[in-house]
Amino acid sequence: MSNVILFNLTTVLFGVASALYIGALYAKNEKIAVYGTWACVLAAVVSTAALGLRWYESYQMGIGRIPVTNLYESLVFFAWSVNLFYLVVERKYGSRTFGAFVMPIAFATMVFAVYNDSSIQPLVPALQSYWLHAHVITCFVGYAGFAVSAGAAFMYLLKARQEEAKISQGVVGLLPGCKTLDDLVYRAIIWGFPFLTAGIITGAAWANYAWGTYWSWDPKETWSLIVWLVYAAFLHARVTRGWHGKRAAILSIVGFLATIMCYLGVNLVLSGLHSYGGN
Amino acid sequence: MADERQAPSPMDRVWDFFISVKLAIVTLIVLAVASIFGTIVEQNQPPEKYHKIYEDWAYDLMDRINLFDMYHSWWFLLLLVLFTVNLTCCTLDRFPKVLKIVRNPRTKLDETLEKTLSLVDRWKKKGTLPEWSSRYVEAVASTFAKPRVTEEGGQVHLYAESGVASRFGVYVTHLSIIIIFIGAILGNVLGFKGYVNIPEGEAVSQVPVRGGSLLQDLGFTLRCNSFRVETYPSGQPKAYISDLSVIEGGREVLRKKDVVVNDPLQYKGIWFYQSSYGQAGGTTARVSVSRPDGTPVGSLSIPPNEPIPIEGYGTVRGVNYDENFQGKGPALQVVVEKPGKPAADVWLLQGRPDQDRQRNDSLVLSFGGLNSKMFTGLQVAKDPGVNIVWVGCTLMVIGIIMAFFLSHQRVWMRLAQGQDGRVEVVLAGSASRNRLAFEKKFEKIQTGVKAVGQ
Repeated sequence: MSNVILFNLTTVLFGVASALYIGALYAKNEKIAVYGTWACVLAAVVSTAALGLRWYESYQMGIGRIPVTNLYESLVFFAWSVNLFYLVVERKYGSRTFGAFVMPIAFATMVFAVYNDSSIQPLVPALQSYWLHAHVITCFVGYAGFAVSAGAAFMYLLKARQEEAKISQGVVGLLPGCKTLDDLVYRAIIWGFPFLTAGIITGAAWANYAWGTYWSWDPKETWSLIVWLVYAAFLHARVTRGWHGKRAAILSIVGFLATIMCYLGVNLVLSGLHSYGGN
Repeated sequence: MADERQAPSPMDRVWDFFISVKLAIVTLIVLAVASIFGTIVEQNQPPEKYHKIYEDWAYDLMDRINLFDMYHSWWFLLLLVLFTVNLTCCTLDRFPKVLKIVRNPRTKLDETLEKTLSLVDRWKKKGTLPEWSSRYVEAVASTFAKPRVTEEGGQVHLYAESGVASRFGVYVTHLSIIIIFIGAILGNVLGFKGYVNIPEGEAVSQVPVRGGSLLQDLGFTLRCNSFRVETYPSGQPKAYISDLSVIEGGREVLRKKDVVVNDPLQYKGIWFYQSSYGQAGGTTARVSVSRPDGTPVGSLSIPPNEPIPIEGYGTVRGVNYDENFQGKGPALQVVVEKPGKPAADVWLLQGRPDQDRQRNDSLVLSFGGLNSKMFTGLQVAKDPGVNIVWVGCTLMVIGIIMAFFLSHQRVWMRLAQGQDGRVEVVLAGSASRNRLAFEKKFEKIQTGVKAVGQ
């Protein structure tokens, strides 16, 4: 199927972008990173086309549905969101060094996707609902925000260690200042948090419409709540107790680990209602 | 002075404990960590299953701390109560203060306030105080927001603000959580959740309540007219479809022919959700009986291996079924026994209703296919609190957006007649959030205001 070919091309582009961004850091050459940005933009175009094409192909197969319904599709959609979120951040903060830390997340996600079944399967009755669209899109935009935040948090920890040691050479020296990174850690979370909240709520509304209970402590639901609680703690610590820097960065990384557990771990390790990763 | 302050009373200490954000952060983290256990240990399984997984001592320990139904255990509920009390106290403590600030804003830019602000600009203008103050009122209104004017001690103060709602975002969010909890409690107390299987053609007026042996009266009767499964060409299930009727006072008051997953039936606040299905009872074969001249006599429903009598004739017993008998399609094997005669063994092909004429008997049998009776499995729920929960959820999203995406921005101006006959002007501003963005906005206000009267 041609959509899969485009997704494979996207994977290559993400890999190229990651390599260019990392290469630019090591070579200390901003020009290389500019090519990285172009690779990201191209990847955004190709992956958007691929999603559209996959959607269209599903209609041609007589099972028309949005392409976010199994593990393969959710992975490519996550990578798509991370890439777009990243491009916005790059433009807004005017620094391409983030790419070296965020784009590998998108690349790794696509590589993982390639190893999963990419065929278009019809929707089982439980997933045939308009809530599916709202639920999946809000959740993944939230996840993408948290991924960007964790990438920035990782950069912050590297940068802070160097600043403590009062050296400003090497690769880390090229990273944006601690203040900018710290700000991005926070800002990406305040974008991710309302989307996650909306994702949990649309999931609850859907569950209530599908089987009459908006909350049943299913492992997936519970993990989404855990993620929500961690970021709620982060925001309280940040806004009212002035948690900045290292502690905030570590909490952001913990939050992202919980996000990964919620997104993949629950399906691969635990059992529950969201079976898309279980087969 | 320190010695003038009284030691806090025990009540104050309790209050201080409950209004602390530290407690909130700790509770959030503890709730998060505790929730993990319930996802690792499968919840609400039969004891036998746990015994297979865990050693006896581990089982006893886990059972004692309610790990098998953790989210309803006393200690988890206690955590939720602590969370709610903390949330409520924080709100009660801080909300009045914020309300006071919002209601009585500092409309005058005095020296003390000025010192706390980082965005300050000052200049002088030739002219009179009333002349400039009216010009600047207009300028602030057009570049930012309509200002309030206070005149005091020969000075004129302008004050304008925007995004006040941002101050309330956090309280809207907190309130929304309390509303969701209220809705959840109402639903638990006043509603019920149940599950019922209804075979095709049958009806129920009571349903078993989940987690108990009680039966809940519906107040009406629900009948399952039919149930069917639709499949995709590949054989995967496409839809589970129940045809349901609500019967009240002996009359059908509502019928929904396509109750499917994600499209429930609702009547008088009780919802029925398509949830499962299965075979109800055994399979029967449809056999129609007619005279050789074609006049129908009747039809039989034949269960496997059970002689079914036909009056004045004998008995018919279904003994075998073949989906594709000798390549001629589905067929039923029956044994016909008549008093005083040897039993006749016949294969009735579904595709050839006249085949039995070969027997040259007084009656002709023909096979019309298999009948398998299905039942539909329905989740039943009544939840009078659910709409309150949705109100809470909506408020939560609004509250979070208010709290993180709005910013309370304030701009002050002070005008005074200087010694040299010129008007001394001070412009200052502050924002509760996203100060970088406000700095840019402030620059625009600055240029806009300064351009006046040039």
